[in-house]
Amino acid sequence: MELNGDPLSRLPHGIPFRFVDRILELIPGERIVSLKNVTMNDPCMQGHFPGNPIMPGVLLLEAMAQTSGLLLPKGSSALLAQVKDARFRRPVVPGDQVRIEAVRLTGLGTLHRFAAKAFVESEPVAEAEIVLAVSNAVGKDGV
Amino acid sequence: MNEIVQRVRVLLSTRLKLGKAAEELGDDTPLFGPEGLGLDSIDALELVLGLEKEFGVVIEDRPTAVKVLASIKTIAEFIQTQGKG
Repeated sequence: MELNGDPLSRLPHGIPFRFVDRILELIPGERIVSLKNVTMNDPCMQGHFPGNPIMPGVLLLEAMAQTSGLLLPKGSSALLAQVKDARFRRPVVPGDQVRIEAVRLTGLGTLHRFAAKAFVESEPVAEAEIVLAVSNAVGKDGV
Repeated sequence: MNEIVQRVRVLLSTRLKLGKAAEELGDDTPLFGPEGLGLDSIDALELVLGLEKEFGVVIEDRPTAVKVLASIKTIAEFIQTQGKG
């Protein structure tokens, strides 16, 4: 954990689009473990689905992307550039505590690639490779 | 060298969605830009990761990537100068 200041405060996302509740481990630029508590109060549960609440897979991806983004240098503003090989292994429902582990695989210019896995207890629920583009330094397309 | 070129060709055709078979790729065809294969920066990142896995060569910065990822030939030459392959 960072000693000077809460690293979560670097997340640019606001409620209701913040899908990281706590950071458990953080090695900047390398590896991060985060927590997201899934509750009936999450706004998406009203519609996804009425009477049968399930955390949308795209929001699990968002949680993995937000977690990965916290590995970028302070002050970076990043956008999703690619999602690769995403898998959803079982539904995530209110009451579940999702633990997300992300590692930075490589980077080139403004792009950074991460491998992220989501677990509930020790069971894998989702995984994906995620590419983020640091948008406060976006260059021309090409290498 | 020819063997490295062939492996790079296969890597490009399998790892990127080019819609072209390995043997259709020219050694000197530019990988980026409209006159070439038209790859973009996300393809470049995919290639960097693929080259690291397949050949153990590391491309860490953009200037190196611009030079090395110009064509299949320049990639193969880079792998050879790194003593890999």
